[in-house]
Amino acid sequence: MAIETDLDLMLRVRDGDAASFEVLLRRYRLPMVSYFRRMVRDQGLAEDLAQEVFLRVYKSRERYQPEARFTTWLYRIATNLALNAIRDRKDEISATARDDSDGGPILERFVDPRPTVEQRLMQGDRERLIRQAIEGLPENQRAAVILHKYQEVDYRQIAGILSVSESAVKSLLFRAYETLRARLEPLLREGQL
Amino acid sequence: MKCLETEKLISYAYHLTDEPEASQVRAHLGICPRCRGIVEQHGRLGALLDEWKAPGPTPGFDARVRQAVEARQARHEGRSFWAWDWARGLALASLGVLIFAGVVWFSRSHSSVSNSSSLATRKSSQASGTQTPAQVAKLQSPTVTARPSGKPGQAALGTITAGTFSNEDQDAQALEDYDLAANFDLLSELPKGESRVVN
Repeated sequence: MAIETDLDLMLRVRDGDAASFEVLLRRYRLPMVSYFRRMVRDQGLAEDLAQEVFLRVYKSRERYQPEARFTTWLYRIATNLALNAIRDRKDEISATARDDSDGGPILERFVDPRPTVEQRLMQGDRERLIRQAIEGLPENQRAAVILHKYQEVDYRQIAGILSVSESAVKSLLFRAYETLRARLEPLLREGQL
Repeated sequence: MKCLETEKLISYAYHLTDEPEASQVRAHLGICPRCRGIVEQHGRLGALLDEWKAPGPTPGFDARVRQAVEARQARHEGRSFWAWDWARGLALASLGVLIFAGVVWFSRSHSSVSNSSSLATRKSSQASGTQTPAQVAKLQSPTVTARPSGKPGQAALGTITAGTFSNEDQDAQALEDYDLAANFDLLSELPKGESRVVN
């Protein structure tokens, strides 16, 4: 059976087909939640924002025009929500979010017997350093890196999402990666040993 | 040998460079250890960044999205998005029932109008002692066999043309019912004591 394109599904959602909305929800729930999780860190807020994205897709279905790729539209909504949430809740996020990078229940850390506690703590430290390095980037660079590196979105599409030119995206990414290289230099040296 | 700009090297490392520029950078890296070192360092950075994992949605996420959409729909449109398919089926079924009911109603009302108009015609005929040409033509129909005890068609016609309706009213009624039975056989009901008209 051929995989239905996002465009076909969205056009059917526009016509009131709930089943197509379900397919889109299943297809993009993981990318959306993980995107927000990296953008705002807090799991509860990430899920609230991802839910809001799907709600907005539903609300705008009748006005949907297939001019851009569906994912460009989806990530544009998501990025606007994320950047607004970061601005609005900057203090709240830093006060409430845990320093732990995984955010999962404490017991989960001890479920897998293969990596030792020490290894997991070291891994947790590395993840925390990476997260902090990315969170320290300016908003646009941070969004660009997360979209490019973790969501695997093409830089041309990122230009559409951030409403900037392709060369501006290249410039954003260049500066972001260069900053990250400098900030994570100790970990990069460690990896060479 | 002149080294390439760092921006060009980083763009190459993260696949932001299109051809033919990418080929030019590749050729340069083959002969420049310093530039190659920068690209390799960013390759390691890319691998390091992969270590940052983000968890997916918790169980119940889909249900919460559905609930939010349902709530929104109830507020603004007064009907359920997910109930739409089901509602469409129900609407079609209802339409079918309405059409069926309409057909039944039409057949019954048509039957009563036809009967009352026939009765009026008969009364008028009794008063004048004559038959309308339509009635006579109907009674002369060769495909009709009426009454098990009487002779088909012709006998009835003979009786009617004699102008004596006192015993032949039932024959005329049966012949009119025949028309209904021909169209709505399953729905037709002959009065009790009456014989069914056979085609």
